[in-house]
Amino acid sequence: MPCQQTGGIISTYGQPLESIKYNGEHLLPGQMGHLFSILAFVASLVSVVAYFISVRQTDELKKASWAKIGRWAFITQAFSVFAVFATLYFIISNHLFEYKYAWQHSDRDLEVKYLLSCFWEGQEGSFLLWSVWHSVLGLILIRTSKSWEAPVMAVLAFSQICLGSMLVGIYVFDYKVGSNPFLLIRQDDPSLPIFNNPDYMQFKQFMDGNGLNALLKNYWMVIHPPVLFLGFAATIVPFAYAVAALWTRRYTEWVKPALPWALFAGLVLGVGIMMGAAWAYESLTFGGYWAWDPVENASMVPWLTLVAGIHTMLAFRHSGHALKSTFFFTLISFIFILYSTFLTRSGILGQTSVHSFTDLGMSGQLLVFMGIFTIPAFWMLIARGKEIPQMKKEESTYSREFWMFVGALVLLVSALHVTFFTSIPVWNKLLDISGLRKLFGLEEFAPPTDVMLHYNKVQIWLAIIVGLLTAITQFMKYKDTPKGVLVKKLGWPTLISAGIAVLIGWSMRIFYTDYGAGFLLGVYLMLFASVYAVVANITYIITVLKGKTKAAGASVAHIGFGLTLLGILISSSKKEVLSIDSMNVLSGYFSKESGQNSRENLMLPKGLPVQMGPYFVTYRGDSISAVDNDKTLYIVEYERKAGLDAPVTEKFTLYPDAYLNVKGQEGITPNPDSKHYLSRDIFTYITAVPRKDIPADTLPYTPHVIAQGDTVYFSKGFMILKNLNTKPTQKNYHPEPGDIAVGAEIYVHTRDNGDFNINPIYFIRDSSFQANVPDTIAPLSLAVKFSKILPNENKVQIDLKETREPMDYIVLKALEFPFINVLWLGIVVMAVGFGMAIRQRVRAK
Amino acid sequence: MKKTSIILLVVIAVCVAGMVMMVGDFSTYETFATARKKEGKEIHVIGALDSTKSVVYDPAKDANYFSFHMKDKSGEITRVVFYGTRPTDFEKSTELVLTGKMVGSEFHCSKILMKCPSKYKDEQTAYSAQKNS
Repeated sequence: MPCQQTGGIISTYGQPLESIKYNGEHLLPGQMGHLFSILAFVASLVSVVAYFISVRQTDELKKASWAKIGRWAFITQAFSVFAVFATLYFIISNHLFEYKYAWQHSDRDLEVKYLLSCFWEGQEGSFLLWSVWHSVLGLILIRTSKSWEAPVMAVLAFSQICLGSMLVGIYVFDYKVGSNPFLLIRQDDPSLPIFNNPDYMQFKQFMDGNGLNALLKNYWMVIHPPVLFLGFAATIVPFAYAVAALWTRRYTEWVKPALPWALFAGLVLGVGIMMGAAWAYESLTFGGYWAWDPVENASMVPWLTLVAGIHTMLAFRHSGHALKSTFFFTLISFIFILYSTFLTRSGILGQTSVHSFTDLGMSGQLLVFMGIFTIPAFWMLIARGKEIPQMKKEESTYSREFWMFVGALVLLVSALHVTFFTSIPVWNKLLDISGLRKLFGLEEFAPPTDVMLHYNKVQIWLAIIVGLLTAITQFMKYKDTPKGVLVKKLGWPTLISAGIAVLIGWSMRIFYTDYGAGFLLGVYLMLFASVYAVVANITYIITVLKGKTKAAGASVAHIGFGLTLLGILISSSKKEVLSIDSMNVLSGYFSKESGQNSRENLMLPKGLPVQMGPYFVTYRGDSISAVDNDKTLYIVEYERKAGLDAPVTEKFTLYPDAYLNVKGQEGITPNPDSKHYLSRDIFTYITAVPRKDIPADTLPYTPHVIAQGDTVYFSKGFMILKNLNTKPTQKNYHPEPGDIAVGAEIYVHTRDNGDFNINPIYFIRDSSFQANVPDTIAPLSLAVKFSKILPNENKVQIDLKETREPMDYIVLKALEFPFINVLWLGIVVMAVGFGMAIRQRVRAK
Repeated sequence: MKKTSIILLVVIAVCVAGMVMMVGDFSTYETFATARKKEGKEIHVIGALDSTKSVVYDPAKDANYFSFHMKDKSGEITRVVFYGTRPTDFEKSTELVLTGKMVGSEFHCSKILMKCPSKYKDEQTAYSAQKNS
C-alpha cells in the first residue's frame, strides 16, 4: 500500500520536524505500531492498578468487578502487543527502509525464513517477543489460575509495564524511556544533511537495508530466540505465584498450581538454551557448542536455580519441608532472568563477551526493571519469613527430601560460581562507582585467561555430586527410607555402572591429561556419575515403577540429564583437531609455545590432497549458493585411506560455506559443515580464503632491451620481435592527428597454449607527450609494454609482466567430536521427561 | 543445631574457600610495559591497531601466523603475534582486547576480541577470534 504522506508530523521525541514533504515514505504502519505500543503500555498500567485494588478489596463483589476490569485491560494490552508485533513484521517483510529497524536489520535479498531472525537481531524486537509470550501466558493464566488470578496477573501485568516501557521511546524530563522500533531513519539523526532532501528515500543507501548479520542466517536462529524467550517468559509464572502467596499470605497452596509452570519453564528454558548451543555448534566457529561465554552463562544460571526450585517444590509437596527455600529458588530464578537481561543488553559485558547486544543506552532502565522486582519480592520474603509455616520435626538423613535439598544447594553453588565470574565487569563497575578501587588501589579485574578451564575445573565436581544424587535419591523414600533398601536396590546398578564406566574409559582411551591428574580424576568420576545416573534411573523405572510410564517423568528426565552429562564429557574430553598443521611446526616454530598454541589451521591448495588424521582432504573449488548469492560454498572432499596411493575406504564431500566481504565487510563469515555419524561428527569450517576481488598484480614489469629479430623468454614460452610498424593499429589505441606512433609486432609461442601475435604501441603525442598502449594475452596473464625507443642503438625496450598465477586455496579447521549425539539425545530425553512430568502434575489437579 | 543449618554452614564454608582459591584465576588488564614485568604470565591488554604498520597474514606461507602492531593505552606500540587466522574485519576494529603474554619483545596472544564500529552510528559490536576453545 504505497501512500504518500506529508512530513512535519510530530516526531516521537516531541520535537516537530521541519516541514519538509518527504516522498516515498510509508508512515501509516509506524504510526499504528507506535499507537499500539502506547496502548499496550497504558492498558498494562490499568490492568495492574485494577488487579491490585481487586487483591486489596475485602468485599467479594467489588473484588470480582475490579478483577474484571484488570482482565479486560490485560486482554487489551495482549492484543495491542500482538498488533505491534504484526506491524513490525509487516515493515520488515515489505522492506520499508524508511524505518530504522528494517534498515538496520534486514535487506531485500533476505530469504523469507530469515525475516523473523531480523526481528530478534535488535533489542526492541527481542523485548517485543518476550512481551508477546508474556501476553500469551497471561491469557492462559486468566483462564486457569482461578482464585490466584488477581495477585498473579498483577505481577505479570506489572512486568508488561516494564517491557512495554522499553518500546515506547518517549522522553520524560530529558530521559529517553525505551527505544521505539518504529523510529524513522531520518528521525534517528535529523541533523544529517541528507534528510533535508525530500527524496532521500531515492538515495542508494536507503534503497536497501544494512542486512542481517550473516551469523544469524541459520535455521536455529529462527527458532532458538522464540523458544528461549518463552522460557524467560514462563519463569515469571512461578515467580508470580510465589509473590502472590507472600502478598496474600497463602503460603502453602501456591506450590501445587506453580509446579507444572515451573516444570514448563524448566523444559522450555533448557531446550532454548541448548538450541542456542546447537546454533553455536553449527554456525559459530567457536569449535563447539559451549564456550562459557557470558551470554550463555547468563541464561544457564536461572535454569539451574529453577531446577533447584522444582526439586524443593516436590520435597515440600511430599514432606512439608523446604518451603522457605522453595520461595527463595522460585524468586531468585526470575531475578536471575532479569539480571541476565541486564548483563546482555546494557553493554556492560563489552570487553568480555563475543555476542552481547549492542548498547541502546537503556542500562538505567534495565537496572530499574531488575530492582523493581527484586526489592519488593525479597523484602516480602524477609518481612513475612517468620509467617511461613515450617515443619517442627527435622528431616531424616535417610529421606528423599533431605538429599533433594542438598542437590538444590549444589545447583545453587554452581549457579553462584558462574554468576560471580560472569559478573566481573559488574564488580569492576561497582568498585569504580563506590570509590573502593581508589581507596585500596585495586587494579581492574579481568576474566580468567583460560575461561574454559576455569569453569570446567569447578563445575566438573559439582556435576559429579549432582550426577550421584540423581542416581541415588530416587531410591530413597520421602520422610524415611527403611534401612537396607538402598544397598539392596542400588547394589547392582552401582556395579553395572562402574563396569560400563570402566569399559567406556578404557575402550575410548579417555586419558585427558591436558589439565593434570586432578582433572583426570574428575573426568573419571564424572564418567561414572553420569553413567550411574542413567543406569540407576532406568533400573528405577523397571524395578520400582514396574515400567509404568505415568509417574516416570522424573526418572526419564534424569536419564536425559545423565546422558547430557555423558555427552558433554566424552565430546569435550575426546574432541580432536584434525587439521593440525604439522608442516610448519618443524620450520622454526617448534618451541614450548607451539605446544600450547597448537596450530589448528591448515591450508589446502586447490586440487592437492593434504593429509588430515586418517583422511586425505582435497579442496576441489568453490561455487556460489543457488539460494543466497552472498554465500560461497567450498567443495572439500574427504577420502579415508592409509596412504596417498592406498585404496580409498571411505569418501564424502563437505560443503562448508562463507559469506565473503558482505556489505563492505572485509573478510569472511564462515558456516561449518559436518559429516554426521552416529558416533561422531567431522566438523569443518573455513577460516581464510584468498581475496579474489583484488588482483594479485604485484609483480613489476621486467625490462628487455632488444633489436628486431631478438627473442625474449618468459615462464610459459618465448616471444620474437618481428617488426616495427609505423602505422600501428590496436583496439586500445585511438590515433590523433600529429601522433608519432610505432607498434611492435611480436610473435609469442607457448608450450601449452598455442601461438599469439601481440602489438604493443609506443607513441609521442603533441610532439612531447610520450605514452604507450600495452597489449596483453589474457589466458597467459601476460602483459607486454613497448616503453622506449633507443635510436642510437637501434633497439627498443619491451617490458614484460607475468601476473603470478593466482593461487586458489582455502584455510580450514576440522574437528572431530565423538559422541556428540549422546548430548543431543540426552537433551531430547530430558525434554520428554519434563513433558511427562508436566502431564502428570496437570492431571493430578 | 539443625542439620539443615549445618549443611548450609558447610556449603557457605566451601563457597568461601572456593572463592579464595579462585581469586588467583582473576586476570588483570595490563599495558605492554607492565606485561613485560610479568613476562610469561597470561594477561589481558587493551589497545588499538596501529594501522601505520604492516599487518601480516599469508596463508600460503603459514596459515597459523598472524602478526600486527598494537598501541596500548599508554601509547606504547608492540608487535603482536597470534597463532591463528586473521579475524574478519580486523582493520576496521576500533579497540582490541588481547589475551596472552609477553615473549621477549613480542606479545603472543591466544585470543583477540575486537570491537568494530557499526556502519551507521558509533554503536559498538564485538567480534572475536579465538582458538583452543
